[in-house]
Amino acid sequence: MNRKLRLPVSAGGVAAALALWQLIATGPMAGGPLPTVADTFAELAGLLAGGAFWAALADTLVIALAGLAAAAAAGVVTGVLIGSFEPVRYATAAVLEFLKPIPPIVILPLVVLIFGPTTPMSWFLVFFGCVLPIIMQTVAGVHDADPVTLDTARSYGLGRVEILARVTLPSAMPFIGTAMRVAAPAALIITVVAGLLGGGPGLGRSIYQAQASGDYPVLYAYVVVLGVLGLAFQGASALAERRLLHWHASYREVLTP
Amino acid sequence: MTRTLATHHHPGMENSMELQENPVALGTAAARPRLEVTALSKTYGSGPNAKCVIEDLTFTVTTGEVVCIVGPSGVGKTTLLKCLAGLQPATSGTAAIDGRRIDGPPPEMALVFQDYSRSLMPWLTVRKNVRLPLRHLRLPAQEMNQRIDDALRAVGLDGSDGKYPWQLSGGMQQRVAIARALAYRPEILIMDEPFASVDAQTRFELEDLCLKIRDDFGMTILVVTHDIDEAVYLSDRVVVLGAKPARVLDVIGIDLPAPRDQISTRSLPEFAEQRTTVLSMIRKPA
Repeated sequence: MNRKLRLPVSAGGVAAALALWQLIATGPMAGGPLPTVADTFAELAGLLAGGAFWAALADTLVIALAGLAAAAAAGVVTGVLIGSFEPVRYATAAVLEFLKPIPPIVILPLVVLIFGPTTPMSWFLVFFGCVLPIIMQTVAGVHDADPVTLDTARSYGLGRVEILARVTLPSAMPFIGTAMRVAAPAALIITVVAGLLGGGPGLGRSIYQAQASGDYPVLYAYVVVLGVLGLAFQGASALAERRLLHWHASYREVLTP
Repeated sequence: MTRTLATHHHPGMENSMELQENPVALGTAAARPRLEVTALSKTYGSGPNAKCVIEDLTFTVTTGEVVCIVGPSGVGKTTLLKCLAGLQPATSGTAAIDGRRIDGPPPEMALVFQDYSRSLMPWLTVRKNVRLPLRHLRLPAQEMNQRIDDALRAVGLDGSDGKYPWQLSGGMQQRVAIARALAYRPEILIMDEPFASVDAQTRFELEDLCLKIRDDFGMTILVVTHDIDEAVYLSDRVVVLGAKPARVLDVIGIDLPAPRDQISTRSLPEFAEQRTTVLSMIRKPA
């Protein structure tokens, strides 16, 4: 598609979605809990002017990003260990496969019981929800390292640690990158769920409070904020992936030699 | 007077002793091969499913020699190279450098793989690919850069060092792999069908580069190839392998004048003779 047309067409899509929302809110659902676009954005403007909103936003961002960073660090290190040593792989396979399908929300009551409705509670949920896919993908990436590339490194006398850092890990980067791109929006969602259902700090808790007091325009104003935040997370992680993996076949800009 | 005589006499005696010893020392050095493969066998698996790929291979390569290994495809040449490079253990027999058994990647050896596109790291630029094996040598920065520059210039890639391998043609990628081996300054260079997937013109250039490296750096070079003409053109000796399991059929000395030239050497009647000798050896029914 023509580059110049992309932005106006995207904007048109957004406008159409907002128009549909407005139609439903004023038509079939008039007087119901769904506020109009105008009411929602008026409340949104009010939120942006107040300090409490920004504090909640900051809480959400810090929890999501810190949880994601911890999950990335722990996930990559664990994944490399599991991928490099067969006994570790067999020792952990059953446990990881058991934990993988458990959504973080299932362990939320337990985590709230342990930590209370606090920042560590939300942070732990984010960590739990993100770390397993990152481990799994890192293991897959380590196994995907090309045997010829590894033999090359070995034949030049590179040591185990150097091969791990300079060959295996870069080989696994495309897998880790995909895992991170999926995990980044998930971290945000889990932070909000932890606030909404577990009372953790941040936008989730704000949404819960708006819902409890029946203030639907404010509730949907928060939903709009979350949507925009989700877009930003997705965009930032996709951009980071593209920069980090510019050499990978899926991102290459092939120059004529 | 006596003193003078004595001082004269003494070094003279030393000289004569050296003269007596030197031919012996030289003799052993010349007779002793750089790379020595003795009764090497490699079997994959065990029991009734065991597959013997290499059986009882014996040959040698002397310092400064270019030796080509030829044989039908799928004969286990790559397996042999992996054993020589210390990447996998032999089932029996030995490979040794200067009499020292190879049981891991030897530091004085570099290996150029057939599959250059998989052997180069796509996340590193040409320069960083060449630098990768030098890092653990802990060279001074200046020497490291000098080596990289020299190697890239030798293969005609100066100016491409900021590119990524996948931005280069196949022939240029293989040159990067060769430059990486050169910068490592190995004493023994082993190449696995290094020119198999490049066009004819590039192939000629890379063959001549191979001979130039030997002359410039005094390298000992072992090349696996399935191209008989290439083997005859490059080699001082050709090791002819027979198929399934691989064993040495013959070692043929190639007596062609140096320096070799793509046009004049290949049009010599001796070239055709040697080529026929090697080819009939390979095609002869076992």
